[in-house]
Amino acid sequence: MTTTAASEGWPRSRAIAIAKHVNAAVVVFVVLYAIVGLLQPSYLEPAGFMNFLRRSAPLAILASGQLFVLAAGGFDLSMSALVTLTVIGGSMLADNNPDNTWWTIGALYGIGLAVGALNGLIVSFLKAPSIIATLGMLLCVDGAAMMWSGGSPRGYLPDNFRAFGRLVLHDVPVIGTFPIAVGVLIVFTLLAWWGLHVTVFGQRVFAVGDNPRAAELAGVRVSATRVAAFVISALSAVTGGVMLGGFGGVSVGVGSGLALQAIAACVIGGVQLMGGRGSVVGAVAGAFSLFALFTLLNLVGLPQSLRDTAQGLILISAVASGAWRLRHAG
Amino acid sequence: MTTGALALEMRDISKSFPGVRALEGVSFDCAAGEVHAVCGENGAGKSTLIKVLGGVYRPDAGTILISGTERSFARPADARAAGVSIIHQELSLLAHRTVAENVFLGLEPTRFFRLDRGAMRLGTARLLQRLSSTIDPDTRAGDLSVAEQQIVEIAKALAFDARILVMDEPTAALDEVDAKRLLALVGKLRQQGVAIVYISHRMSELAAVADRISVMKDGRKVITAAASALPTDRIVRLMVGRDLAEFYPPRSQAPPGPPLLEIASGGNGVLAEIELTVRAGEIVGVAGLEGSGKTALARAIFGDRPFERGTVSVAGVAREIRSPRAAIADGVGFLPNDRKRDGLSLQRSPRDNVLLTLRAFAPALARAAGGAMTDSIADSLLRRVDVRAARLDGEIRLLSGGNQQKVIVGRWLARDPKILIFCEPTRGIDIAAKAAIYQIMRDLASRGRAILLVSSDLPEIIGLSDRIVVMRGGRIVGACEGGASEEAVMALAVDHHGDAAIAQPTEAGAAL
Amino acid sequence: MTAIVSRAPRPRRAPPVPLFLFVGSLVLYVGVALWTGQTSQLQTDGWVGLLQRMVALGIVSVGQTFVILCASIDLSVANLISVGAVAASFIMQGRDSMMLPAVAVVLTISVVVGAINGAIIAGLRVNPLIATLGVGLVLQGLLSASFTDFAGSVPQAFQAFAYGALGPVPYSVLGLFALALAAWLTLGATRFGAHLYAVGGNAEGARLAGVRTNLVMVSAHVICSVLAGVTGLYLASRLRSGAPWVGRDGVYDLESIAVVVIGGTLLAGGRGGVWGTLAGVLLFATLDAALNMLGVPAYPKLILRGAIVILAVAAYAARTREHVA
Repeated sequence: MTTTAASEGWPRSRAIAIAKHVNAAVVVFVVLYAIVGLLQPSYLEPAGFMNFLRRSAPLAILASGQLFVLAAGGFDLSMSALVTLTVIGGSMLADNNPDNTWWTIGALYGIGLAVGALNGLIVSFLKAPSIIATLGMLLCVDGAAMMWSGGSPRGYLPDNFRAFGRLVLHDVPVIGTFPIAVGVLIVFTLLAWWGLHVTVFGQRVFAVGDNPRAAELAGVRVSATRVAAFVISALSAVTGGVMLGGFGGVSVGVGSGLALQAIAACVIGGVQLMGGRGSVVGAVAGAFSLFALFTLLNLVGLPQSLRDTAQGLILISAVASGAWRLRHAG
Repeated sequence: MTTGALALEMRDISKSFPGVRALEGVSFDCAAGEVHAVCGENGAGKSTLIKVLGGVYRPDAGTILISGTERSFARPADARAAGVSIIHQELSLLAHRTVAENVFLGLEPTRFFRLDRGAMRLGTARLLQRLSSTIDPDTRAGDLSVAEQQIVEIAKALAFDARILVMDEPTAALDEVDAKRLLALVGKLRQQGVAIVYISHRMSELAAVADRISVMKDGRKVITAAASALPTDRIVRLMVGRDLAEFYPPRSQAPPGPPLLEIASGGNGVLAEIELTVRAGEIVGVAGLEGSGKTALARAIFGDRPFERGTVSVAGVAREIRSPRAAIADGVGFLPNDRKRDGLSLQRSPRDNVLLTLRAFAPALARAAGGAMTDSIADSLLRRVDVRAARLDGEIRLLSGGNQQKVIVGRWLARDPKILIFCEPTRGIDIAAKAAIYQIMRDLASRGRAILLVSSDLPEIIGLSDRIVVMRGGRIVGACEGGASEEAVMALAVDHHGDAAIAQPTEAGAAL
Repeated sequence: MTAIVSRAPRPRRAPPVPLFLFVGSLVLYVGVALWTGQTSQLQTDGWVGLLQRMVALGIVSVGQTFVILCASIDLSVANLISVGAVAASFIMQGRDSMMLPAVAVVLTISVVVGAINGAIIAGLRVNPLIATLGVGLVLQGLLSASFTDFAGSVPQAFQAFAYGALGPVPYSVLGLFALALAAWLTLGATRFGAHLYAVGGNAEGARLAGVRTNLVMVSAHVICSVLAGVTGLYLASRLRSGAPWVGRDGVYDLESIAVVVIGGTLLAGGRGGVWGTLAGVLLFATLDAALNMLGVPAYPKLILRGAIVILAVAAYAARTREHVA
């Protein structure tokens, strides 16, 4: 049995390979969205589609950030709490004063940076597995959010802050409306794609996720790479939080479950859960698919309270099918 | 020795996978009390044959007879139940459990629903006695040496009352002394009537222990004959299909250049008083038994478990090497002895693996496929080391061990360090790939690099090195010139009061 | 997986972690009590209270030990505890006659959930983290769709579970130690226990040796879920009613994992045991008591809990030289 023979299971050209991979999550999304459109035709209009993109943008951004951590072999379960902290902290710092918005956002990113760095340092130097480290960090950040707001959030988010989530430009040629949120999504996604698939840093992330020991012996700065991945994840959580703040009211539950959704989105998009493989396109398409599925369930009349149950089932199915795909692939 | 009835017969076994015919009409048999060796290059079909025998794969065609009765195995447990036990290269012991617990895994005796630990201990002791071993059944398996673990694996196989034992490269991870002990053990098992299928690349062992030898090539069996009728060079020719020119490249005649690596009074937790110089153009071999510290020396130089005392100088300049990254920056390269565990990103492609060190040092935001890291540069590196793969962008874990090792060599060629440390570079690699790697090492030396070769393969060290240093107990205890005799090296490696029963290898065997 | 491939430097004999934790906890408790002048805590009532604090986390952590030993993990326990507590008190509705049926229902649900966890992990080969997080989410959704507040109540007779005592020692504490004893015997003196360690240490090797690895894993998950159900029953008894947030509030998922790891059981499976886990539970109970004695308010306590979990796990793991992801 030669290697030639063994790798004959691979499709004939690399282009087809990529297309086949991308198609999985994108195809899923297209199919789901088509069904949504059938049930609610307004989704098929440009304005409806833009609205969908706007509302699913936070999840897509979170998924892109989580992807870095997953590719590096870990998990970031603290994202949810960071989103909550962003919204609560944002409202307390900005206190309905538009002049405060920019430095507030800056401060929030600073907090995100600190949390991400802490996560990375704890995993790299204190050697706590990222599951436990980020779950513990979830507790800490949630507690901090509670402490800060004294249990009941005060203040409001000023309008220019909420613009990131809410503002929609009208009279745009061709598509008619263009939400700012979609703009932020496009920028963030492009940055993530560049970071993971174009730069040297991205290759290091994959190497660390695949085999940290081999990466170390080849000269990669494993800890630095890992910390950077967690920082990126945290910054994506803050970004998502800023956008979510624009959507609705300020509440303590705003971030709940988002980390798991982000992981599910990445898995639908083809990420390998123990590190070493994944793509930004897949993560984003996975996020859209997930959101389309939620929309579908809402349209079909699933009570909001059962959304958690639906999420859990989707998460398990996504990972199960991913595992199945992996076992039966090249 | 007398051989009994055929304990094992495999007739016309064929097995295909999508796109490849792994086995084609292979017939193989082994009698009770016989050692039947199997050789072949990687990819010849040896491991598929073993997996069919072990119940991991179902054959597409052909029959298996155990002691004359036709059997078919749906899963490994069936093969076990029929008395077939396979001891794989990768040991499968449970590190945190005792020897007795390991030996009786799956067979635990019970008394009134409680584990009968007394019976386990006694049974284990008996089995170990049969193998002439004094290991304490209550020892934690993880505390044993590799050789001892191997013995426990064999005991485990015997606990299942295996009549047919398949040993896959059993001496691959053992040093000379332990390997000889194992061969003696194989002889003992043969006398006890066990049928032994012995897979090995080490020709000297085959000469010492095999009754019959079968050679496989490209999924077919080429020949089965008595060991006495198959001298080494004929075996190699049958395996590879061509005459291998001088296996070890000739040593350099030119005098070595300036010293590139100098260690003075080097020491850490494991090493002491290390004095070592490696000059440009030299291949220095480091020999020693297991536990001698030779791997620790390699890692210390590379900054993985650094020196705590003494000085290390690279090209005449004293350096503090505290991490692998620092070592690489200072011009040292390192091929780990366990390439799967420490050397490769198994899911990444050969291209990505060969470019890994370049990417480790390039600026973080530089283009991963730009500059000196383009696909074409990666491909040319892979060509330089003669990596054979259908796809250079597929997963590297699909490549053979030899090709995987070549990729790692290619990674260092890209970086071109002044000093390159090779640890067990040809472990688990077929003959043709071995020769290729030896040639690469000699080429590197002749272009002015300093090569340090750490290996448990004595013939390899003797054949390849310009100079040999021998280690024992964390110290360098002696030195020899290249081409010294095995006895001379072993005499230094072994304690005076150590094992004197070292078999003399034949000249033909020593070459490989 | 801890398969042996090449020889590492001989590992040092593992330090007696349970003993260190036990002594450390005692020192901490006595120390803080003395320092804050709350010497009343050092009388019988205080010690009994400390032991009582151990029960809830202790029961579920014993179950988590089984699961982690076979290299899996269970993050659905917190939600299952809530389900158990709510179901128990809802079915009982304060009536003695419904006690037994309620317990039977809770245990049945637990067995089913455990079997599902095991099937998804062993059968569908889903990452245990994701599988149990997912199942936990499903449970959470089902629960919050049906209940938003305390549901029903628990009859007096059932409250004996939490409040009854033999002399100064509560039944629940005795029960916990009996459970630990039973678990210790199961792990150390039965075939199942030996197979459990094997699956955790090297699942492939265990399979080749004839161990029914899937069955072992499912059994471990069933044991864990049943014990989570029992914890729910205990909490219902203690709070006199069950509410959907008891599991999450108690952070039983994270803390049960933490105490198991602190107690010396490897997250990767294959080594460890029940007494270490209990020692870890004692440590956490002591820390909780100490924080109370020191008068730390609720929200900072939450932050501290998270930090303690991280530090405790880290302190134990920091000795490894290997990479952790």
